[in-house]
Order: sequence, then C-alpha cells, then structure tokens
Amino acid sequence: MRAESSSRRPLHLAVVGHTNTGKTSLLRTLTRDAGFGEVSSRPSTTRHVEGARLMADGEVLVELFDTPGMEDPIALLELLEDIAAAQEAQAQQRLDGPARVEHFLAAPAAHGRFEQEAKVLRQLLASDAGLYVIDARDPVLAKHRDELAVLGSCAVPLLPVLNFVRAAEANESAWREALSRLGLHAVVRFDTVAPERDGERRLYEKLATLLDGFRPALETLVACREREAGLRHRAALRLIAELLIDAAAYRSTLPGDDAARIAEGIEGLNARVREREQRCVEALLDLYRFGFDDVDADQLPLIDGRWENDLFHPETLRQMGVKLGTGAAAGAAAGAGIDLMVGGLTLGAAAALGALAGGGWQAMRHFGGRVVGAITGQRELSVSDPILRLLVLRQLHLLQALEARGHAAMKPIHAFADEARKWQQGSLPAPIEMARAHREWSGMGGRVEDSAARIDAIERLSELLGEAFDSAAVEHDAS
Amino acid sequence: MTAFVLSKSPLPSPDRFDSRWLAEALRLREAADGRVRDAHAVAAAREHRGDAESRVLLRASLLGDTDGLAAQIEAWRGRTRIVFAVLAAIALIGGFGAAVAAVGDGSRPVNVVWSLGALLGVHVLMLLLWFASFLVSAGDGGGALGRLWLWLSTRFASVTTSRHVPVALLALYRRERLVRWWLGTVTHGLWTAALGGVALGLLLSFALRAYGFVWETTILPVAMFERLVAALGWLPSQVGFAVPDADMVRASGLSVAGDEMARRAWASWLLGCVVVYGMVPRALLWAACAAQVLRRRSRTRLDFGQPGYAQLLARLTPTSERIGVTDSAPARIAGAHVADPHAAAGQGAVMVGIELRDDLGWPPLSLPGVRSEGVIESREQRRRVLADFARNPPARLLIVCDPRLSPDRGSLALLAELADHADAARIWLFAAERADPERLAHWRAGLAETGFDRPAVVETEHDALAWLQGLETQGIDDAS
Repeated sequence: MRAESSSRRPLHLAVVGHTNTGKTSLLRTLTRDAGFGEVSSRPSTTRHVEGARLMADGEVLVELFDTPGMEDPIALLELLEDIAAAQEAQAQQRLDGPARVEHFLAAPAAHGRFEQEAKVLRQLLASDAGLYVIDARDPVLAKHRDELAVLGSCAVPLLPVLNFVRAAEANESAWREALSRLGLHAVVRFDTVAPERDGERRLYEKLATLLDGFRPALETLVACREREAGLRHRAALRLIAELLIDAAAYRSTLPGDDAARIAEGIEGLNARVREREQRCVEALLDLYRFGFDDVDADQLPLIDGRWENDLFHPETLRQMGVKLGTGAAAGAAAGAGIDLMVGGLTLGAAAALGALAGGGWQAMRHFGGRVVGAITGQRELSVSDPILRLLVLRQLHLLQALEARGHAAMKPIHAFADEARKWQQGSLPAPIEMARAHREWSGMGGRVEDSAARIDAIERLSELLGEAFDSAAVEHDAS
Repeated sequence: MTAFVLSKSPLPSPDRFDSRWLAEALRLREAADGRVRDAHAVAAAREHRGDAESRVLLRASLLGDTDGLAAQIEAWRGRTRIVFAVLAAIALIGGFGAAVAAVGDGSRPVNVVWSLGALLGVHVLMLLLWFASFLVSAGDGGGALGRLWLWLSTRFASVTTSRHVPVALLALYRRERLVRWWLGTVTHGLWTAALGGVALGLLLSFALRAYGFVWETTILPVAMFERLVAALGWLPSQVGFAVPDADMVRASGLSVAGDEMARRAWASWLLGCVVVYGMVPRALLWAACAAQVLRRRSRTRLDFGQPGYAQLLARLTPTSERIGVTDSAPARIAGAHVADPHAAAGQGAVMVGIELRDDLGWPPLSLPGVRSEGVIESREQRRRVLADFARNPPARLLIVCDPRLSPDRGSLALLAELADHADAARIWLFAAERADPERLAHWRAGLAETGFDRPAVVETEHDALAWLQGLETQGIDDAS
C-alpha cells in the first residue's frame, strides 16, 4: 500500500519508540486533543494501537497511530535474527528486512512474550513512515541501537524525534551522533509537551524531505496550522486590548469626600478590575484550550485559576518593574491602583491630550462632567496608569506562556517585564488615553456602548500590543 | 436520516453579506452572553462540504433563524430606513424653510451674494470638512449627520433588538473601511434632501412672489462682483441657467434691479448655483458612497482573528479526529520472574551494573574481594556475563541500576536472569535520591512484580556496602 500514488491518500504515520518516551504526548500535541489516549510517567502505559486523523480545512491529510512502547529490543532482535537464520537456512536464500519481520510476526512469540512489539512492527509495516520518539535524557544504550535495527528492518523511513531536549541532562549531541551512525541523518527536536513555536513546522518539513510524495499534503498542513496559530494570536491580543480599554475607560463617581465611602468605592473598583482580569484570563485559556485541570496548567503563572499575586499589591508592581507615579505611590498602601480625582483637576496632561485628540464632543461632555463634579464636590475613581501597565505585562506574559504551552523553561515574569519597558514607563498608547475620556466604552460597569470608535481603539491597541509582544519575543530569542 | 434532513437545511442566502452580518452579531452576542446551545447547528455545519467560513455562516443562519436574531437584523434595517426617511423629511422642510427665509417676502430686495452664502455656506464648509476627514486616518469620518442617524437608529431600536446588531455591522464595515462610505450615504443623502428643499423653496418663492435683486458693498470694486457672478454662473449656464451679464450686475449695484430680464436672470442664477453647487454634488457623492458600499460589501469576509471564532472553528473544522483503537491491548504480557528457590551454589561476591549513565562512574564502590563484572547493556555483554555466571555462579550478586532511566520489561528480565545465577541477589537503585520520585516508584513496582521484594532492593551506598560486607563476614565465618 505504500508504493501507490500518495497525492490524495492520507499519509500514514506510526509513532514508535522505547517505552515511556512520550509517544502519546506527541500525538496529543499534534492532534491538539488533550484527551487522546492515556499519558502517565509509568512505563508501558499504552498497550494498544490507537489512531487519529489530522485535518486541514476538513480534509484528512495525515493518519497518526500511537503504538505501545518497545520494551525488550535486545531479546527481540535476537529472536528476529534466529527466526531469519532458520528461514534462510531452510529456503537457501537471503531474506530482506521486511521479510524477516513478516516471519517474526508469523511466529508464536509474536502472540506471546513479544505481542506488544509485534503490534508496533505490524503498524510500522503498514505505514508510510515512522516517528521514532526519543527521550533525549536517556543515554544512548545498546538496547536503543537494537531497537532501531529492528524498526529499520521494516524498511520504512524513520524520523527520530528528540523529546525533552530542553532538559538539563539531555544528551542531544550523543543521540545525534548515534543516529547518524545508524544512517538516520534527518532528526528533529520536538518537545512533545512544550514544543517550540515553529517546532511543528520543522517536524513536518523534515518529514517532507523523507516523503516527497506527501510534500504537498504536509505543506498544506503546516500552512493551515500556522494560519490557525496566527488567528489565535490576533484573537488573544484583541481580548487583552478589550480588557485594557474596559479598565482604562472605567469611572465611578462618589458623592462627597467621606473617607469611608471612598474606601468602599476603591474596594469595589478593585474587585471589578480583578474580576475583569480574571475574565480575560479565562477567555485566553479557553482560546488556547487550556483547562485548569490540564497537566501543564500548573506551570502557568496562575494558581487555582487566580493570579498568585494580587493585582493591587504594591509588591506585584515592584516585581514587574512598574514605577508608581509619585501621586499614586502615596496611595499605594491603601489600594494602589486607583486614581482619586477631584473633578478634572488632577487629570494627567497625557490623558487630557489624548482625550482631546480623540474625544470630540464626548470628551467635552466628559470634562464638563468633571467640572461639575469639582463644583459639587463629587469625586471620581478610575484605574491608575501603573495598574494598566501591570495588566498589559501580566496578560502578555500569560499569552507568551500559553503559546509556549506552559513550558518550565519559560522566562520568569519579571524578566519579561524588563523587555516590555515601553509599557512600563513613558506615556500609555493613544487608544488607552482615548479610552480615559470615554466612560461609555467600559464594559466593566454593565452596559457598554460599542461605537465604531471603541472598536477602532481596540483594533489599534491590539496592533500595538502585538508589536510589543513580538519585540519582547525577539529579545528573548536573542538572549 | 437526521444527517440527510440537516444537509438539506437552508444554506446562507446568496446575498452573503447579510449572513456575515448575522454571524458577526451572533459572535458578539455569544462573547457577551455565553455560547448558545448549538449541537444541531454544529452537526449540520460539519456535514456541510465547504470552507470554514461557509460552515460558520451556515451555523449562524441555522441559529439565527431559530432565536430571532435574523429577524432582529431585518427589523433594525427597517428602523434605520424609517429614521432616515424622517430625517430626510426634516431636512427637506428645513431646507425649504431656510430658502424662504433667506429670500424674504419680497418687501425688501434680495441681496444675491449674501443669500447665496447663507444658503450654501454651511454645506460647502461641511463638504470641505468631509473631504478633509480623508486626511485623518482615525475615526469613521462618516459625517455628523450619518452619526446622528446611526445614533438615533440605535437609540430608537426596540428593546428586543440585540445591541450587537448594529455593532456587528460596524465591525464588518470597519474591516473593509466602509464605515465612512456607509455613513456618507446618509450624510450626503440628507444634504441632498436639504438642498433639494432649498431649491424647491427658491423656486416656489420666485414663482409666486416678486423680488428685486441687489448686491451691496462698501469697499470692494464693482469689477470683482462682475467677475464673481460670471465665474459662479459659468457652470450653471452650461445646463441652461441664465447668468446676469455685466450690465445687469452693474445696474443691480446701483439700484434694485427692476427690469424683467434682470430679475429673471438673477433668480435663475441663484437657483442654478444652489442646484449645481449644492444639490448635484451632494447627490453625486451620495451615489458614489452608495456605489462603494454596494461594491465593497460583497467583498467582506469574516475576520477569524476575532475572539470567539478560533473556538468555533475548532468545532466546525476540527484539527483532528480520533480513529479509535485499531489493535487492542493484549490481555496480559507475561513478564520475567525470579526463579524460586535458587539452586545455585555460588562462590564470592560479584557486582554488575546494568545500563548506567556515564556520569555515575564504575565501580560505584570498591571493596576488596568483590569481583566486578563491569556495566552491561548489549547482547554480547549479557551473554558473556551469563556464561561467566554459569561457570562460576556468585554467592552474592549486587546488581546496580540507574533509577533515573525508565524501567522496561527487557531490563527487568535481565535482572531476573542474572539473579537466578546467584545464591542471593540485591538490586541497588544507585543514586536514588537524584532520581525522579515517580520513576523510583515505577522501579520499585517493576522490581516487586519481577520477584524482587522490598528487602531485595537497596537504595543507599551504606546498605549496599553493609550487604556486601555481611557477605564477607559470613564468608570469613564460613572459612573459620
């Protein structure tokens, strides 16, 4: 079945390897199906062959088969050779690799002691290629060489996939050398739990070099996955932008300057901001299909679905390198995040300019309202700049974590903050300043007025966030 | 059967823009209020053979029909038309009134240039502002009247109309940069109506009242008025409006133009200017905006980079599907087991390592009188050691394993086979404290299954040493 034209038939791939190297994890990652098979640190968790189809735009391009781990390759190779020697002696002719494997599969041992290995070989014989998953933390042992010899007899192209390459004790170079001595020169690094950003593309590209007939299908698959990733990224940036607009636009008015009322108002606003941030976090997790009970969720900067550091704790700001303004610093102890303004009089110059630039008569109305507030002694609460910066950094950091799939090697949060300096100091971008003047843009206070201008602000802000994210990512790669 | 019925369900209408509008409104509503129950619609959309967008549109049209969102769109559209009609009527009447007021009741002569400025001044200023808005990228630039219309249409929407209906339209138009043109049709349409009203008012006034025309100046030369009137009148004259000649202009400057010809010429000039510089440009712009909207809105595509679509696409065009188990698990894989009891009658103590990582170093401990068989991993090494043991079985055998590696059936079988050759065997899980606790637990479990019960497994150098020394003491005891 392998020799036929491969243009329209899905590519059949067997995922093979020693026991406990992460074959099922690889399938989960490639299929985006966190519920596929069973994954545990226990060896020989998978004892059956289970398949999944990879699709792009509704078309099935690849069929992947998860196989049990090889457990006793030394004895298996010995048996294979014994059976082959007996057959060769009988038939007076040399047998090639697949013929040897066929003879083994017909032997009683293939249904007894080596039943698991027989399943692997049967599946590999029926496939166009095999992905040989390697735990790069393991030393290269004789059993691995024997295993590759057995798998190699199936005469199916094998692509070694180095898993856990980012672990400190990984022996990547030893593995590469050993594999090239066995004639396996195309090798790909792919962390099955936390693949690098373009890891999947490189995997499929390497595969295409081994399987030229399936190149178009693999290219379609890569293009489709990258398109999906790009769309997800943009959607995530928009979610973050909307959070910022909601927070920046929010105002609540307090009558008079009774200290107890103000404290109550601040607490209420804090709660609203926390709740709004949590909503954004949940939307991001949903977008990237992270469940809270996922294995990797505990590697995200979240604990029990809540941020480990409270948004309004001064220490959180310090940790993120966000400077508190002098005015806000005084109030830091008592609910850091809030600008308490009497009328429009303490409105920052940047906010005023931004408001005037984009506000039109609504901005005038807004300033009018503030002047009225100043006269009647009303006070207004809004989310302060440091908190907005903190929101930006936390969400971008979470996004980065989600796109790296919560890998442990992820940058610590303050390191990320260092790179997003643009957001820490200086003026906030124009769309945020504009939102300051548009109380009706905030979705935090119930009804939100979706105007074209609000949509526009979210779009422009999400573009700016995308630039900040990319520059942070580039700096990270360079470091 | 169900699948058949579903696949016959109505496909999105040929005017795909409306279905995109519906899909976008549905997305916004789901983002705000949570996902609707859509199992049947998703199933139907997955049945549909088409690209991702057509599946999203099909799902939206199925859901929109049942929960009334499609009807709300229709209703909102109807309401915008009513609001437009009312505004247009007001504009028409306002223009008419403005014209009648500008020329007065005929008791006083009409100051031609002044009246023209009053009738067209605001219009020209707003038109220039509209053109200037092209230079500013931000904002929708649709004109104040268009925004007023949108605001009124949204404000007067019935309570049952989802607020997402107009927002969805705005979002779609925004992507195609159509908001300016779309609101422009309203702005220019209303101005066309207003200036039409002005023209009507002038026509009626001139038809039924007698006016004298005059121009006045304190400082400007006469020649300038002559040139101004001729220049403004040139374009209307091309379509048949009369232009007062230089003599008439000069005469009107001295006294109220009294003769029949001059009055007609002035009235025609005034009307011509309002029509050609007011109504016609606005009507043309209205047509241009409408043409833009009609042309470009068919090009609109849903933006799948908006929140909500990614999750939806994952369900409508899944990235993968499970095939299921194609080769089921064996009932039981027989593992090796230590033979019991041992028949060996061995001599001395032997230490052997199995598949150790390089960083451990061999031997892990040196003790006089303990023979080392080295580290074994390959088939040949196994054979050599087993053959050696067959000749000289050890009395006590310490097998060193690396618990950082994963145990497998082959290694456990080798341990059992080696142990079978010795009187007593211990498995030393070397450097157990450095291993992953889970892996360590798997080793212990695997060893227990193979027949190495708890006392047969040592995990510290102290225990290993004590056991080997115990052997020596015993050996000395035996010898003595």
